Parts: sequence; structure tokens; C-alpha cells
Amino acid sequence: MISRRKFLVLAAVSSAAVATGKAFEFGRSFYNEEELEKELSKYEWGMVVLVDKCTECVKKIMEKEGITPEEFESGKKKVLPPCIKACNVANNVPEFENPRFECHLMRIIQVRIQENAEPLYFPLMCQECEHPACVEVCPTKASYKRADGIVVVDLHRCIGCRYCMVACPFDARVFLFKDPLEGLKVINPYAPIRKDGVPMKCEFCIWKIDTERAHGVKDPKPVCVEVCPYNALVFGNLKDPNSEISKIVRTSKVIRLRGSLGTDPKVFYKF
Amino acid sequence: MVEVEFKKIDGTSPGYYLVLLILTIVTLWGVYAWYLQLVYGHCVTGLSQRVPWGFGTAAICYLIGASAGSLIVSALSGVFGKEEFKIFSRSACLFALAMIVAAMLSIMQDIGNPENGLNVLAHFNFTSIFSWNAFLYSSYFVIGFIYLMAQFEEKKFLTKCLAVLAVAWAVLVHSGTGGIVGFVYSTELYHSSLTIPLFIVSAIVSGLGLLIPAYILAFRWTHRPLDRDLMWTLAKIMGALTILLLYCFAAEILDCAYVPGNQEAIRIYLFDFHYPYAWVFWFVQILGCILTVAILLSPWGKTDWGMIASGLIVAVAVYGERYTLITPGLGIPKDYVPGMIFKPYIVVPYYPAWTEYAMFIGLVTAAYLAWCIGLKIFAVLPERGEVVKK
Repeated sequence: MISRRKFLVLAAVSSAAVATGKAFEFGRSFYNEEELEKELSKYEWGMVVLVDKCTECVKKIMEKEGITPEEFESGKKKVLPPCIKACNVANNVPEFENPRFECHLMRIIQVRIQENAEPLYFPLMCQECEHPACVEVCPTKASYKRADGIVVVDLHRCIGCRYCMVACPFDARVFLFKDPLEGLKVINPYAPIRKDGVPMKCEFCIWKIDTERAHGVKDPKPVCVEVCPYNALVFGNLKDPNSEISKIVRTSKVIRLRGSLGTDPKVFYKF
Repeated sequence: MVEVEFKKIDGTSPGYYLVLLILTIVTLWGVYAWYLQLVYGHCVTGLSQRVPWGFGTAAICYLIGASAGSLIVSALSGVFGKEEFKIFSRSACLFALAMIVAAMLSIMQDIGNPENGLNVLAHFNFTSIFSWNAFLYSSYFVIGFIYLMAQFEEKKFLTKCLAVLAVAWAVLVHSGTGGIVGFVYSTELYHSSLTIPLFIVSAIVSGLGLLIPAYILAFRWTHRPLDRDLMWTLAKIMGALTILLLYCFAAEILDCAYVPGNQEAIRIYLFDFHYPYAWVFWFVQILGCILTVAILLSPWGKTDWGMIASGLIVAVAVYGERYTLITPGLGIPKDYVPGMIFKPYIVVPYYPAWTEYAMFIGLVTAAYLAWCIGLKIFAVLPERGEVVKK
């Protein structure tokens, strides 16, 4: 039979095991967080997708590459417009042969009101929600929203539970099932290189827009926006009433996807 | 007043060592699968970008449920005053502790970045039910551990208080686990207020399903008498709750299917046999529950083998329920653009890889292995499995 002394010691040790959570919190940042927060809070980055232009671009690519709508609809063939191609290269998105592990930060979907209606095409990516479900569910705050509204993943904190992927209303995140270096032909040293076991998502190319902003560039842009030959993607600061994006949102008929969930995406679609 | 004399088992027979050997081999099989996953990553599983949760997540829910169910059995005498069930109080508590450790290990197995695993304790997110669960699981283990110690010390009042606390915590822990799935509002097949109570019911059912065979065999193999009426009472509770489970399944599916926008998803989930979801739903989850009830209602159900069979079948059926709770909601596309037809609309099937079977089964056998060794080290099994009133 266990002695009372032993019992008390064991009980105390067990209780301490629970309480030690805080003891692991030894990571402290050395930069001025307040200053950074103040600077970032001047911005609220958003994007407008001009669906007509996207549709035109995708249709032309399908025609050029001989992809039939049936092949696209069944998922047998994918359409890779310039925005996605550039995104993959710039953001170190690995290519894996097995479709189960296929990674992407943007993908094209087709919508139509009824089967015989003319199809529309547009990209689906992280919608940078104002109330992001991924941030809400993340058990370690590895997914968080910056002061400029961009939802990012701290890969050094992420445990890889994939709850964010499950909670995302747009399936905008992918998981690195394998070491990304296995699937990268070229590496962009300016963008993050991730490891396996964590998710990745579109972060509006923060590695690029942060640098450009720091260098005084007035209108920093993610890679997809820059390379779009149709100017179908409009990126900008929603807090600036004179920005192009603010004007479009104010004056045009734009919608947000899955608006009823109340996550308030900052990617708008103009039909 | 019921007096129960607990005594360690001898654990010297070849049969005991054979049981340990079998359990160890299966556990090592699971350890090997885990090793492969650690080396090669989650690509050794059957998961995909669209179905990133599968057997591993189902295992977490299942093992926590089994633990909660066992703890409730352990506390039947302390909380509900059912003194005759005192014979199970220590061993069921030990089983619950083994199961919760297995559940925590299954979390470590399931996460993609286990070296960051302790971050769940270091960085609390108030809005994340998972974050709350990290606290609930570890504190649940501590409470269960102290509760077992109090029983060893024969502290009657403390034991009673801790039994109440442990049961309340077990319900809380499993409610939290149900919330991980039920609170997800972006997936039509997930978001349900019934998930949490359903989790509690299935927890008790699976806990009993795993405990009843263990008890019958443990008493039988150690040549200790066991009151079959007590076992039958536990089996009847299990049967009644299995009927309640079937009722909950029907209510949940009808509720979801009533929304026209969900009907296609429900059709694929329940009636499209091109995918594994309908097979598991009908032939594991529903048939398993019906078979359990049928066995218990038959004359054979009252026999040892009848109770063992029904316990094991319902334990598998509840695992099937965990599978169908988690995977179809992910495999069937979300409605990104409500009111429009979107393509490609691809239903992604999820077939677990052998590594996932191995890791889950290995964890269950590891819990049984720990329990069997515990029976030899600690005085948790009564000398006589029947009530002796003084």
C-alpha cells in the first residue's frame, strides 16, 4: 500500500505537471511590437477579383491548352493561369506527383447559376477574413491576424493539428505531407521555406509587401496581382478611401463568399 | 456497508505472460508505424488535403471517450451510491487513466509537428476548444490519478468527493472533445448541437464495451468469482445507451437532411456506396449497434461470451461512428458559393493506411497492456467479484 507521504508527493507532482504550462513560455520577442503594430494598423489589405476578366483569361488558357470544360469540371485537368504559376514559384509551393499531397495557395473554380448557364471562373485563395475561423480554433495561436488584417501562420509555434484546415470555410489551407524541399525545383530565398507537418496558406505575399512597404513603395502588390495580364486582381489598402480597391468596394456590386458565416472575408468578387 | 478486499493478481501463469506478449507485439507494431510516420511524415497515412483528419483524430475522440466511460463506471459506487459496483472502482479508474494516456499519445501521433506539441500548454487560445481541451485532458489525468490514490488510501470521504469531481470532469472533457467537431460551423455535416451529448453517450457505451470483456476475462483467468448479475447490469446499461445512440443518429441526420442545401451531402454520405462513408455508416456503425442490442436481447446475451461479443461489437461500432463523424464532412465538398453550382465538385474518399490502423490498435493494446501490468503491481482487482455485505 502506498504511504501517505508518497501519495502527497505524487499528487503535488501531478498538479505541477498541469501548472507548468506557463513554464514553457520562454520565447520573447526582441523587437518593438508596439511600433510594428502601429505601423501595420495603418493598413487593411484586401483584394477584389474581377470575375469577368478572370473568366476570359481562364477560357483562353483552356482553349490554348485544349482543356475541355468537362475535363476541368471532373478535376482531370487543371488550369494554371499566370497568377497561380507565379504564386507557386514565388512562394516556394512544392509540386508533388501524388494528388493527395498536391499543394497550392490559389486554385481556379468554376461557378454557374444552372447547368446550362455560361460558366464563370475565378481563383479561390485565403479570404483573409476579418473574423477568421482558423485563428479562432488554433490551439496555440500559431495562426493569427496581423494588425494589417493578414492572417499568417507562425511555423515555429504550429503543432500541425490541422484544425485550421478543417475550420476554414474555403479549404484555403494545404498541409505539407512531405518535406517541401523534395518538391521544389527552384527556391525563392525571400519567401519562407517551410517544413513538413505544418499547413501553408496565401498570406498576400507578406514577405514581398512588407519589404516594399518598408522601402516606401506606395502600392505594394502580391505576386499574383503583379503578373496578371488582365489586371483582374485589384489589391490595396481598404483603410485608404482613395485607393482603387476602396473605390471599387464602395461603388461596384461586389460579393463576399459564404457571407452568412460572418467571417467577413477581405477578398471581394465583382461579377 | 460493502467491504471489498482488493488483491494483486499473481501474474505468474504462462497464460498471463502470453497475454502480455500478444499485447506487446501489437503495441510494437503500432510503435513501428509511428516511427515510420515520424521519419517520412504524414504521407504514410491515407490522409489528403481535403481530408486532413482521419483515423488519428477519430482515435483521439474514441480513446478519450473510452476513458470517460470507464471513469463513470469507476465512480458508480462513489457518486450514485451503488455500493455493489465498488468492486470495479479501482480497476475501472486504472483503465480510465491508461486510456487517457493513450489518448494523449494519440494526439502526439496525430499532429504533424510533435516537437512543438508542448505549445498547446504554453500558448492558450481562449476561443479554441482544442486549447481548452489541452488543459482539460491533463487536469483530467491528474484528478483521476489522485482519485485512484485516494482509493488506495481508503479515504472514504475524499474518495467520494473526488469521484464526483472526476465524473464531472470526465463529462466536461468529453464535452470539450465533442465541441472540437460540433463547433466547426464551416462544414455542414459537422455543425450540430447534438454532437456533444452524443459524444457523452457514445463515450459511456464504448467505455463499457471495452471494460466488460476485460472484466469477464480478467476474473475468469485469475479464477476469481464474479457476480454475473453485476456484469449483466453493466451490459444492460450499455444496451440501453446503444438504443439511445441509434436514436441520436437518426435525429442528427434528419435534422441535417431537412436543409435542402445539405441533401446532396447527406445522399453521398449515406447512400453513395462508391465511397467508404456509406459502408462504414451502415455496416459498422448502424449494424454494429443493432447487433449489440440484438445479442443483449437474446438469451445468449446474458452469457459471458454474449456480453463479451456485444461489448466488442459496440466498441467497434462506436469507432465507426467516430470515423463517420469526422471524415464525410471533409470528403464531401463545402459549398463555397451558396446558390451556385461550382466545379470541380469532387468527393474525396478516405481510406486509412495500414499505419493508421497500426497506430490506433497499438494504442488500444498499449492501454490494455498497462492495465494488465497494473493488475499485478497494484491491488485494484477484488479478491471476489461479488458483493459481501457486512
